[in-house]
Amino acid sequence: MNQEILRVANEIGVWLAAAPVVILTAIQAIIYTRLARKTAKELNIPDEKCDRAFKTGLLTAIGPVIAIFIVMVGMMSVIGGPISWLRLSIIGSAPTELTAAKTGADALGVSFGGPDYDLNALATGWWTMAVNGAGWLVFAGLFTHKLEGIRNKVGGGDVKWLAVLSSAAMLGVFGYLNSGDIKKGGGGLIAVIAGAISMVVVIKLTEKLPKIKEYALGIAMLVGMLAAVIFG
Amino acid sequence: MEDKLLNESYEQSFTKHIIGAGRWTLLLSVPLCFLPAIYLWIRYGALPPLGSILTGWFLIASIYGSWYIVEPISYFPILGLSGTYMSFLSGNIANMRVPCAAVAQEVLKVEPGSKKAELVATIGIAGSIITNLIVVTLAAVAGNELFKYFPPIVVKALDFVLPAIFGALFVMFSIKYPKYGVFAIGIGMFLLGVVKVLPTWAIIPICIFTTIGYAVTSFKRKNKADQSREV
Repeated sequence: MNQEILRVANEIGVWLAAAPVVILTAIQAIIYTRLARKTAKELNIPDEKCDRAFKTGLLTAIGPVIAIFIVMVGMMSVIGGPISWLRLSIIGSAPTELTAAKTGADALGVSFGGPDYDLNALATGWWTMAVNGAGWLVFAGLFTHKLEGIRNKVGGGDVKWLAVLSSAAMLGVFGYLNSGDIKKGGGGLIAVIAGAISMVVVIKLTEKLPKIKEYALGIAMLVGMLAAVIFG
Repeated sequence: MEDKLLNESYEQSFTKHIIGAGRWTLLLSVPLCFLPAIYLWIRYGALPPLGSILTGWFLIASIYGSWYIVEPISYFPILGLSGTYMSFLSGNIANMRVPCAAVAQEVLKVEPGSKKAELVATIGIAGSIITNLIVVTLAAVAGNELFKYFPPIVVKALDFVLPAIFGALFVMFSIKYPKYGVFAIGIGMFLLGVVKVLPTWAIIPICIFTTIGYAVTSFKRKNKADQSREV
């Protein structure tokens, strides 16, 4: 790996160029929180409940985000810190971004992170990551409101029906994700089973201790990870 | 009547603004994402030949192109309107946004799919975005330094964050809807273990929409049975 390339990738100008996207993501979160809180007031949902929802989101994200942290450190050593900062603040997971960066090098015919990986190759990777992310951003930006229209038309505003719809969708996606880990076996399989069993126990516990509800997923996650390390 | 008024005020004060803000934030982020690449071009003249950019685009779109469309549609029934705008800007959907929305709704005991649930999910997802941004910024600034403090056993354990979370969340919903849960895991195992040939971008929507189909049909059947019993 050419150290000169990495020096350029980490220089202050790139930080400044990466910052607007990160800031925009924070701005959107703030706008949406304020809108939701204002509307919650109109629906007579007390402020404490909104605070609790926010806190739950903050806490529940810690586990997954530390896993991202680890991957990101590896990513930074190939494509630089600021661009990893931008890419992992928005749509596109670390493997997706690395695939895009590698694809950029492929398109130029050089090996990703190899001795011939020059500034042009780095730039091609950055262009490729940006056009790839744009796919989701443009589609979701232009068509999300149409999906809302379809849902309302199909459901006719029936709350019970919508509850079934969203819970079934949730089960569908986690059914798929778990199937992958079950099929692979090993530590992943143990983590799935231990996570599942401890969730049952934690849910039973929260009936007596409603205060720990925010931590339910965190506890189940830690038990699942621990079991996988010990028995995997 | 009251419901109708409520719906209208919700529509006016929430839905309309969510769509407006969602649209400009997502579409504005697209050009902003090119800034670092443009910086390399202006500062160092490092502009890849157009052919390479197009080749890169073609290669990457052939891998992820179907996802651009399939993911927003598939996750919409889970995330709702505001959740979709937030999740498709900030990413990490299955591993972070969906779990945070689901747990926030569970903690506050709101009916999934209702207006209250959408508000709670919006605030929960916003919380997860803040955690995400803080940790990612920390990683960018001091990741290499901090990494030294991670013992190898912790790094290994972090490999299992996702399976543990996915298992736990699956159970959280299966307790409420055991029949749909069995169906969902059955269809997932069938497609991955028996059929095997389908690409991932096709498997996820099939899993989601067949489970929805099954749930909605059995929900309607049950409703009908309940009604005829009442009569």
